[in-house]
Amino acid sequence: MSNNEMARMKFYCDDQRCIECNGCSVACAEAHELPTGVSRRKVITLNEGVEGKEFSTSVACMHCTDAPCEQVCPVDCFYIREDGIVLHDKDVCIGCGYCLYACPFGAPQFPRDGAFGTKGAMDKCTMCAGGPLETNSAHERELYGQNRIAEGKVPMCAAMCSTKALIVGSADEVAKIYRTRIAAKGKGVQSAPYGWSKAYSN
Amino acid sequence: MANTWGYGAMTNSLGDIQNAKAIIIFGANPAVNHPVGFGHFLKAKERNNAQIIVVDPRYTKTAAKADIFAQIRPGTDIPFMYGMLNIIFKNGWEDKKFIKDRVYGIEDIRKEAAKWTPEKVADVTGVSAEKLMQITRVYAKSTPGTLIWAMGLTQHTIGSSNTRMAPILQLCLGNMGVEGGGTNILRGHDNVQGATDMCCLSHTLPGYYGLSAGSWKYFAKSWGVDYEWLAGRFKDKKMMSAKGFTLAKWYSGVLAGKPGEDKIHNAGTNLKALFVMGNGITSIAQQAKVKEALDNLELIVLADPFVNEAAILTDKKDDVFLLPAATQFETSGSVTATNRSAQWRYQVVEPMYESKPDHEIMFEFAKRLGFYDEYTKGMLIRENKKTFKFPEDATDEIARIIKTIGLTGWTSKRLKKHTDNWHMFDEVSLRGTGPMKGEYYGLPWPCWTESHSGSPVLYNINRSVKEGGMGFRNRFGLEHDGQNLLAGKGSAPKGSSNKDGYAEITAKNIESVLGIKLSAAEKKKIGKNWKVDTSNIIAEKCMEAGIAPYGNAKARAKVWTFPDQIPMHREPLHSPRQDLAKKYPSYKDKANHYRVDTKYISKQTEKDWSKEFPINLVTGRLVNLNGAGMENRASKYLAELTPEMFCDIHPGLAANHGIRNGDMMWVHSPEGTKIKVKAKFSYSVSEDRVFLPMHFAGHFQGEDLSHKYPEGTKPYAVGESANTVTNYGYDIVTQIPETKGGLCRIEKA
Amino acid sequence: MTSTTQNALSTKVGRRSFLKMAAVAGAFGATSAFASSGVTRAATEDEVKNPFPGSKNVRTICTACSVGCGITAEVQNGVWVRQEVAQDHPVSLGGHCCKGADMIDMVRSEVRLKYPMVKEGGQWKRISWDTAYERISKKLDSLRKKDGPDSTIFLGSAKMSTEQAYYFRKFAAFYGTNNIDHQARI
Repeated sequence: MSNNEMARMKFYCDDQRCIECNGCSVACAEAHELPTGVSRRKVITLNEGVEGKEFSTSVACMHCTDAPCEQVCPVDCFYIREDGIVLHDKDVCIGCGYCLYACPFGAPQFPRDGAFGTKGAMDKCTMCAGGPLETNSAHERELYGQNRIAEGKVPMCAAMCSTKALIVGSADEVAKIYRTRIAAKGKGVQSAPYGWSKAYSN
Repeated sequence: MANTWGYGAMTNSLGDIQNAKAIIIFGANPAVNHPVGFGHFLKAKERNNAQIIVVDPRYTKTAAKADIFAQIRPGTDIPFMYGMLNIIFKNGWEDKKFIKDRVYGIEDIRKEAAKWTPEKVADVTGVSAEKLMQITRVYAKSTPGTLIWAMGLTQHTIGSSNTRMAPILQLCLGNMGVEGGGTNILRGHDNVQGATDMCCLSHTLPGYYGLSAGSWKYFAKSWGVDYEWLAGRFKDKKMMSAKGFTLAKWYSGVLAGKPGEDKIHNAGTNLKALFVMGNGITSIAQQAKVKEALDNLELIVLADPFVNEAAILTDKKDDVFLLPAATQFETSGSVTATNRSAQWRYQVVEPMYESKPDHEIMFEFAKRLGFYDEYTKGMLIRENKKTFKFPEDATDEIARIIKTIGLTGWTSKRLKKHTDNWHMFDEVSLRGTGPMKGEYYGLPWPCWTESHSGSPVLYNINRSVKEGGMGFRNRFGLEHDGQNLLAGKGSAPKGSSNKDGYAEITAKNIESVLGIKLSAAEKKKIGKNWKVDTSNIIAEKCMEAGIAPYGNAKARAKVWTFPDQIPMHREPLHSPRQDLAKKYPSYKDKANHYRVDTKYISKQTEKDWSKEFPINLVTGRLVNLNGAGMENRASKYLAELTPEMFCDIHPGLAANHGIRNGDMMWVHSPEGTKIKVKAKFSYSVSEDRVFLPMHFAGHFQGEDLSHKYPEGTKPYAVGESANTVTNYGYDIVTQIPETKGGLCRIEKA
Repeated sequence: MTSTTQNALSTKVGRRSFLKMAAVAGAFGATSAFASSGVTRAATEDEVKNPFPGSKNVRTICTACSVGCGITAEVQNGVWVRQEVAQDHPVSLGGHCCKGADMIDMVRSEVRLKYPMVKEGGQWKRISWDTAYERISKKLDSLRKKDGPDSTIFLGSAKMSTEQAYYFRKFAAFYGTNNIDHQARI
């Protein structure tokens, strides 16, 4: 990829490596000082304790290219940056929860402290890109959390992933890393990443 | 482990696990307890196609990433490993040359292993013969293989046999002293290795020097105090050399004399005062006894950054002191990771609120108790200074004195340099580059001299001593039963001037072993042997000659000073298999075991425990909490992950007791104690056992003690301590409690 | 994340996105919310790079387990403002489990013990350090004289630094007892 093209930012969680240590979700909560009860990122384990069938994966807003939340929002508070990061304007959001209907991943969170609480009416993963307020201002940090993308840094969850299961970056870079791992294994490629079909099957 | 080959520590490093072709894990759950470390396991799997084998009573998160999983009955690791050896010997898969040159006493192991056929092992361990064979084949055939363990092996009455058994298995396969091999114990807390090396332990002085008069004299001299004066601080010289009470059973020191309590031998007094610094004593076994002991003390001092929940557990009304200690981020000093590497933990901020760093608190007490000048003098000696700077001068004091594990090279200056340059070291080999070339990250001990590289892989004879190579330590004499205990011909570290086995180096034998001549000046300065040679002439000369100062001997499979010379299976004191308890009975009761008369066989045969308490009780850790959990439960994000104490229970077992997912349930122990916890359905445990996490406190036998916290200090999550219901039982050598193999009874609350 | 991604982000997004509307891919127009917030002011280099100007990064080590993960603590005016990523640490490579990711809470947790206290008549009471030292020393001293040094037990910690652990062991020695232990025993 040349520098002239815009990255399309994606998360990927390698379930061969995810061990449900919750490093990502706590790193996120701590970095953005989220109120308890709000999980921008959550680790789920399916078939816990069932031999050969247990696996864990980390889920947050997937920053969809054709984001359903953005399409259904009645007040049009969502916007998609050129690099594909899906954000929303908390000064516009009314916290109706319609985005939750649309989201296949349960990403939108609704802080218990209400519309005027520390993280607005609806809160979700920003891929550490802050919000529409002045970059790295105290106001932006308070309402949206850190803007690490603007600082040239990797989003917190993936940077702190204990086993490097969670990868973030432009889609082709993520694919490249994953391909390298699969190639190293030399025992076939996993049929498909656990995503749409299994994300809410339990 | 130290009794097998010299040192009781992880032999390789976490990064080195990436070199393994097979990884076998006994009684450890690194995916939960050491997640970042486990990343290296997963990389081994990806890069080498390494097979991960997990042997555990539970299907853990580690097992979920394993290629083969064996669900073993708690406390039967020795039969399992003998079963593996049985198959290995039968097929001739052992490393015969390695055994011949570097191991003593394997014949006895062969004999014992012959008894443990796969079918017999299956009956005792609950793991099928087929699975045992599959595991053995995979593990023996994929070398190098690394063997991992943690508290799942140590927390048994036979824990000290378990920790000899695992090394024996590795020795037989020639997996020792190689990259990608080794016995890699995963330590718990961040500085267990460091604090253990400094021997905050009741049976030895720092550096594992023991408690003999000779050791005390060495330390008195090194500390710059008169030996007789120091001895005068003790009741008498006999008590000065007597092992003290342990963390596991200190409560007996308070309760002795009451009906039914174990007898003690403590210079004619019970314990009256308890001084705790950074120790969650609410996570040690027998909480009901701990509570009673706390209630009966005259003085309790608890220094911690958070409220030590011993203060909440006790009903004592007066003279309970809480001192706010600073966290490790509010002071600085070195910390030793599980692989014997030291890192410098720089201070981040000044102590918060009124808190003070631990050493300041100790220094102030020393002043008020009248021994401050003697106590701190050791920091002035090296450079003959008037004042000291803590911790740097303490690091250098340790480097000056501790020879046994080779800390001479650990000066504060070097340790800081390593942390300052951590980006210059390789992830797998820990080798430094650029300005750090020729050194391994954190200078894993032994680090014999101030220019030594550190030793990333213990007992590796494929490297020169200068670059961290060494044979096994000569620690147990030169011969036993007429057999030579030194290493065989040609088994010396690379580049050695002496190609064979040799004794530990002393002032007497240095010239003959190294083939050198000392000058008169050197002869005058040199210490009696390598362990007390503060001139460091022995170590320096050894480096030049490629000789390990501690000798080059055989590892021993047989420890003639232990109650069982070779590891023998003995059922837990509370065994669900009474038939096997008769066949493999526990030890005779042991008098004066760390000052306490401790029960073994009398407890095991007191009654058929399994009738009333048919369920196996297993305890362990959660990823979000560690130790007694007080620091992590004080974090809202971590507490949120497990807001309540719970019990993992198989839905089938629960159904038999009318318990539904989320119901409250009682767990009763043979000690007559009970806890009330939330049932959490899980298939990770089989139907004959339950699992309890060990990090909670603040509830006691059904009672919520929240009201007893000082205002504004209650952690975000409280609950029953699993250790209220762990059973009586202590390791025969170390006195570590048997929390991993007890019994219980459950009912719906 | 590879350098390619980083370059793409820092050149195309990072620098430009403080003029927020330029980065917004036409999702909606210039609403008043933005017009009034002064986003069109060019952010200084320092603001974009670091939201905590003048801060410094301190290398330190996680206090949870024995893996020894590196921690980079960002400190501004003596306050630990955030936990940064120690991506170049040879063992942890920036990784943390949830405990390590939350080390900053060891310092800033609101439920820390803030001052010395004593229980008297079943009630907690705040006292000064001097009072605490005085009362404890007096009691220890009298027990030591009356019942001997073995009437006290010292329980130290695997959470201390090596130097502190050494001085804790030494403390028991100078007090005159071998009744000393720590968590390696469990």
